[in-house]
Amino acid sequence: MDLNFIIGGPQGGGIETAGLLAVKALAMHELEVFADREYHSNIKGKHSYSHIRASDERISSIKYPVDFVGALDVETIATHYKDLRPGGVLIHDAALLDKPITKLPPMEKERLERLRAELEVGNVGTTVKELDEWLERGGKVVLPFPFSRIITERAKLASPMIEKAMNTAIATVLLRGAGIPLDTIREAIDSLFMEKAEAKELNRAVASAVSDGFDEVSRTKEMGTRSAIGKVPARGKRMLVAGNDAVAIGKLIGGLRLQTYYPITPAADESFVIEQHSSLFDPEGELVGSPIVIQAEDEISAICMAIGGALTGVRAATCTSGPGFSLMVEGIGWAGMNEVPVVITYYQRGGPSTGLPTRHSQSDLLFATSSGHGEFARIVLASGSHEETLYDAVKCMNLAEKYQVPVIHLLDKGIANCVTAINPPTLGKIERGKRIGKGAWEYRRFAFGDDPVSPRAFLGEELMWYTGDEHDESGHISEDPENRRRMYEKRMSKKEKILREVPDEDKAVLFGDENFEDLLVTWGVTTGAALDALTELRATGSKIAVLQVRMMEPFPDGFLSKFLSKAKSVMALEANYIGQLAELIEWNTGFEVKNRILKYTGRLITQDEVVNAYMRIKGGEERVVLTGGE
Amino acid sequence: MSSDWNSGVWPDWCPGCGNFGIFTALKGALSELGISREKMVLVSGIGCSGKIPHFVKVPGVHTLHGRAIPFATGIKVSNPDLKVIVHGGDGDLLGIGMGHLIAMGRRNPEILVVIHNNGVYGLTKGQASPTLQLGKKTKSLAFPNINSAVNPILLGIASGYTFLARSYAYNIEHLKACLKQGISHSGAGILEVIQPCPTWNNIVTMDWVEKNTYYLKDWDPVVKDDEDAVKKAQGIIGIEAGEKKALGIILTDRRKDPFGKRLASVYKRYATEPPAAQQVDKGGAPLSIDLEKTFHKFYIH
Repeated sequence: MDLNFIIGGPQGGGIETAGLLAVKALAMHELEVFADREYHSNIKGKHSYSHIRASDERISSIKYPVDFVGALDVETIATHYKDLRPGGVLIHDAALLDKPITKLPPMEKERLERLRAELEVGNVGTTVKELDEWLERGGKVVLPFPFSRIITERAKLASPMIEKAMNTAIATVLLRGAGIPLDTIREAIDSLFMEKAEAKELNRAVASAVSDGFDEVSRTKEMGTRSAIGKVPARGKRMLVAGNDAVAIGKLIGGLRLQTYYPITPAADESFVIEQHSSLFDPEGELVGSPIVIQAEDEISAICMAIGGALTGVRAATCTSGPGFSLMVEGIGWAGMNEVPVVITYYQRGGPSTGLPTRHSQSDLLFATSSGHGEFARIVLASGSHEETLYDAVKCMNLAEKYQVPVIHLLDKGIANCVTAINPPTLGKIERGKRIGKGAWEYRRFAFGDDPVSPRAFLGEELMWYTGDEHDESGHISEDPENRRRMYEKRMSKKEKILREVPDEDKAVLFGDENFEDLLVTWGVTTGAALDALTELRATGSKIAVLQVRMMEPFPDGFLSKFLSKAKSVMALEANYIGQLAELIEWNTGFEVKNRILKYTGRLITQDEVVNAYMRIKGGEERVVLTGGE
Repeated sequence: MSSDWNSGVWPDWCPGCGNFGIFTALKGALSELGISREKMVLVSGIGCSGKIPHFVKVPGVHTLHGRAIPFATGIKVSNPDLKVIVHGGDGDLLGIGMGHLIAMGRRNPEILVVIHNNGVYGLTKGQASPTLQLGKKTKSLAFPNINSAVNPILLGIASGYTFLARSYAYNIEHLKACLKQGISHSGAGILEVIQPCPTWNNIVTMDWVEKNTYYLKDWDPVVKDDEDAVKKAQGIIGIEAGEKKALGIILTDRRKDPFGKRLASVYKRYATEPPAAQQVDKGGAPLSIDLEKTFHKFYIH
């Protein structure tokens, strides 16, 4: 089974909670889940929604068209009615029936104009009721559910509370329609409102009342007959995480001791999670670690504080997105010059400038790999799934200390905000790199040797100097050309060392048949859509494989060439305009990446889009631009 | 012996530069304070003043233009055992880095910020700095300065600094005493040092300083209580409104918790084991963390 549904409503109307409740209940039902959260840069009023997918098989993307749309308001109906598959079900409060569909002040005027045109072409009418009838005529099912009445009569809520309870009410119908029993929904409510007794009771009452109503409204059965979830085998312990959570958990178990940040979407949640879990207990209940989080006055300060912390030997990191990273660049250059192990978790969002603050993008790859004046070694590691993100958060700290370079953990809004279930992590290894013990000899922080990585002492242990100027082995300013050449080569030769030593699976991963003809190259959260599409395409006989590139700098050209040389055609799939990974591949390997499948609307690339785009490429198109999603 | 505090790197300031006075006073203060060498860190910005850590035989971190304070804060919060002193120019700390100066006052970490105030951007040939008075024209300016000057002491009060002092680069004994007090103070401090730039600032000369400064007498800088704090603030505004610049300790306020104490109030382990003192591994393996207990809210039950 493969279930997709949307639950939408005004921002601040509990949509995030409803989405989380649904995902939690589905996961508790032992299903695989993947959910995207789409929202405006706004606190209250504008349209937001969750696209939730559940399956009995592994999934790592969302897919259109959807089985259900649960609408808290008219704008959701107007925005998503076209997302329904034939036979798909629209659920909304019966109280909305007489509302006009085009009087939507929060809707952006471009969207409203498109909506008006759609309705006019279809000769739909002007009220929700007329739209419902039009949908029914087109083979969709509409369930105007008497939510308001049920909530007041059965859950005994005063009418001003209806709006607050509507999210849980609609989520309950969607879940019951998918075949999730009320008990599981209640368990999910208990877990979600663990620390809020009052909200727990209220939501339990609403879910029970709506669930009773669900059984009484006969047409709700049409939901079940179309998308019923059967019995699913138990899956052992799992965790439900967004990418922000995964990074936080990885950093915490990986030994992070100083996190600095300046608030920015979609990165800030990570620091909240670290703060909330900053007491790390061992199985005996003893506090074994307690990292601190500092909210800096800006991103310049955030990166500089993290570097300062790293100089004292502390595992230090910061997190940000594009605008913040732009401010951090000078600091990262200093870290490159001074061989400082510092980790920057970089969640890409739509740019340039403020761009699309809450929307997805993969358009900062070239910036992450080459930002900063001058030349210096850095590592850029891009994760393609939530589980990988967690482990990479640990790896980034290891790599930073092992090679004494700034490490950029390159993620995206998709990973940051999408929620999925992962296996609890197994604790890996901590590599702290070359250290020097206390000694009577004269310590030189940047001592030349066979290895470009000099032994590290921390501030407080030895005499040492650091400077952003070119420096000698002790860290004092030096403009001597011979010292310059040697120090430059010491720093830059780390690139070869890193390429030599980092295991292949951290450079790139091939999925699918080794005897592929078509190679779909991708990265980041888009990997998930590529893998889901791969399963679908291989089932129909396509000779395709997916190559997920992970290490973007230093670029593993030799390793990638092995796969690129075997492919009859190479196509890149990424969420930007020019095909930044494709460019990086061409530049580094000389292989041409002729075909590019791209998306820059700020919405996730979905499984169905990848399948369609692949077909179009096979049909002769060179460049396919995707536009799906609201 | 203050010569023990020379790193051996040749100080490349212009002859007669006020930085020499600060350098000498600093070495004297460090030696008299008796702190062990490797437990100190001099953090500096960019410009002539930014080079000072290289000349002193204690660990030094010569950072970016305007960013010494965030580096210093990261060092101090991670390892509170270290004595951290920031050196920067007026352009560095009051121009490009002013946001950090204000933020540091709000946090009150135990860091002394020494502002080498010479009124110009020396290393780039004498442009006007944020402390150059309105209408003044130093020798490399094409026109008189059209920006008003900022007063670091008043800015310090507004930002929450708990130690404020002003001294003069060529009064080594006075400067040394101010440095010692500032370094020993348990909170954020600003020490403004009036520093002639013989190469570019032909206004703030030794002669000008003689005529336009005075040493504070009968001024008790120590804040006793909330009421006294208001009185002190008013008094300082009065002092700073005077035509001549006051030299001496202007404010010492020990009532506010330093940043370390504030961190300890929210992170249980901070006071006894700050980040730099904590283990992160056990022989290459991560610490045994009870994942289900620590991250229980993420588990699907």
